[in-house]
Amino acid sequence: MNRRDALKKSALALGAAAGAPTLLSLLQSCAQQDRLTWTPQFLSEDHSRFLSSFVDFLLPKTETPGGLDVKADIFIDLMYAKTYDEASQKQVVADIEKFNSDCKAKYGKVFADLSEGDKKAVFEEHEANSPKFPKTVWGGSVGPREPVGFYRSLKSTVLWAYFSSEEIGKNVLSYDPIPGEYRGCMPLSEVGNTWSL
Amino acid sequence: MTLDPWDHELRGGLTPEQKAKHPKGGRSGFIGAFNEHFHANDLENPYTEVKPFMWVRAHQIGGRSLLWGKQTYRWSDLDFEANAKDGHGVDWPIRYKDIEPWYTYVEKFAGISGEAIGLPQLPDSHFLPPMELNCVEKHVKERIEKDFKGRNMIIGRVAHLTEPLNGRGKCQFRNRCDRGCPYGAYFSSNAVTLPAAHATGNLTIRPFSIVQSVVYDEQKGKASGVRIIDAETSEEIVYKAKIIFVNASTLSTTQILMNSTSSRFPNGLGNDSGELGHNLMDHTYRVGAMGTVEGFEDQYYKGRRPNGIYIPRYVNLKDGPQSDKFVRGFGFQGGGGRAGWGAGSNQEAFGGDFKDGLMKPGPWEFFITGFSECLPYHENQVYLNKDVLDKWGQPTLSIDAEWKANELALNDQARQDAKEMLERAGLKDVMEFDNKHEMGFGIHEMGTARMGRDPKTSVLNGNNQVHGCENVFVTDGACMTSSSCVNPSLTYMALTARAANHAVSELKKMNL
Repeated sequence: MNRRDALKKSALALGAAAGAPTLLSLLQSCAQQDRLTWTPQFLSEDHSRFLSSFVDFLLPKTETPGGLDVKADIFIDLMYAKTYDEASQKQVVADIEKFNSDCKAKYGKVFADLSEGDKKAVFEEHEANSPKFPKTVWGGSVGPREPVGFYRSLKSTVLWAYFSSEEIGKNVLSYDPIPGEYRGCMPLSEVGNTWSL
Repeated sequence: MTLDPWDHELRGGLTPEQKAKHPKGGRSGFIGAFNEHFHANDLENPYTEVKPFMWVRAHQIGGRSLLWGKQTYRWSDLDFEANAKDGHGVDWPIRYKDIEPWYTYVEKFAGISGEAIGLPQLPDSHFLPPMELNCVEKHVKERIEKDFKGRNMIIGRVAHLTEPLNGRGKCQFRNRCDRGCPYGAYFSSNAVTLPAAHATGNLTIRPFSIVQSVVYDEQKGKASGVRIIDAETSEEIVYKAKIIFVNASTLSTTQILMNSTSSRFPNGLGNDSGELGHNLMDHTYRVGAMGTVEGFEDQYYKGRRPNGIYIPRYVNLKDGPQSDKFVRGFGFQGGGGRAGWGAGSNQEAFGGDFKDGLMKPGPWEFFITGFSECLPYHENQVYLNKDVLDKWGQPTLSIDAEWKANELALNDQARQDAKEMLERAGLKDVMEFDNKHEMGFGIHEMGTARMGRDPKTSVLNGNNQVHGCENVFVTDGACMTSSSCVNPSLTYMALTARAANHAVSELKKMNL
């Protein structure tokens, strides 16, 4: 039994015990505790509200943790603060403001305050109108590359922040830091979810 | 070496300060937080691109042996005879039979995994067990080999141990090679040659040393040592030696020789021919095709294999049909795997089902990318630039080189063939590509101090000795007389062992 299975099974066992918290809810409470005291390193309060609502709408909590549960928004704010140069930081702020002002013009409110239905309409519109990323080989894109725009770029960043988090990488995806061997063909059922590394 | 992405504050991301150090090498797309320290600082070590050229440099102990792709293939007489046959460049002073025992020697020492299939154009090495192909690679291999007579698809031959060797551990399939391997499972100077040298009791390493020049003794008519600059204190020190191997990685080697001027060699050590700095070659990069493979949805794999597939050259073979569009040839590297969560960025979807769907592996994808041979052109060159100095006040290199008609014609064919092979193998949504990368992206710089039979047209003799200064040897990529389409590292290794053996024998005979 690998670590992921062990955790899954222990979570089930705990959940079955009378009223015991599941592993998932333990994770959430930990995230919430942090969230209460979170001071964004780069984003303003309004902009961090936008980011958190974007993350939550893109990757809501289901049986698996949501984007907010794994603090994807908190990590992205850190990325903006520590890996973006000044020009890129300015661009992010301008892009968030444009995204919100478009929402306001069409639906009367900034993104975070829209109804679920209006948020869905906004996302659908952006999905339909945003160019796609080119395919990549060995870390470089192949074929022509056109800017994908803020929506798809942020979507991609959120996916990265989510799937590279410890909770997802270790406990949800299949985690095997030292495989020790290469097996070229094996039933997917023996692995379960996609490999995290 | 063992950190997972989440163990690093920025999960492998670089700070603006780190990025700013690599405006040139960063173009490779390979620099991240876990290997950034293995890439030279472009600001302290500037070079000038007369024509665009991406130059990856690694100045720590072990150099680029820590970062290389580990693909290791023997060359054949198809390569060593090529210049003589079609008249491009000068003739190699050696043939396959001269280097064959040294291929064997270094393969047994380094540990090369692969499969023997007996192709004359790609001679078999002494192999450790091959790595496995995955389901889809096996499937594509069968289709290509059935549909295209004379074409083969094999698992890459690589300098990774698939069995323990000489105290080194075998590959654990983590694919974190570019951090340095804690098991010593892939060939690097650090894991293999330096420990062996240390075991002789005769090794002294002098790190933080920038070789400024080779010192030439006019009276004795040979080199007497090297002058170094301490990278930390800028102090100049001269070390004396009976023999010197200048292997600073192709272009830096040539830079040192150019800096080594004397009355006897006013234009750089060994440059009687005027060929020093000329005939720069590389392999073309990122031209090929990719597509998706239907089926195999219930199949997966385990392990992150630091290797892919190889399709050996099949055009312009010795006894095969000859193209009228180009000389020489190309081979392909590539591989297959299942799409991961990254594919979600392009999916027109969002929300809970979208998220949970990304937990499962996506469709199988497969790609091949061509590596075409580059001819040696005199005008593809590097030269010293005394107007742009490095951090230590030393002249730097200007690089003036480009692909020409033959390389572009090879790439055209490679792209078309790649698409045709994948389509006939039954792949869907096949996309061909040719990124037309500038030289340097192959990270296979070769030439600029070539071997040859005639001192009037070459820098090195058939034993890699500098013409006119025979106690100086060059056995890195600078020595190459042609480029083949085959990865060059194993040939550097074999030439090095051969030249070292020659040096010892000449020393014993008191000839050096």
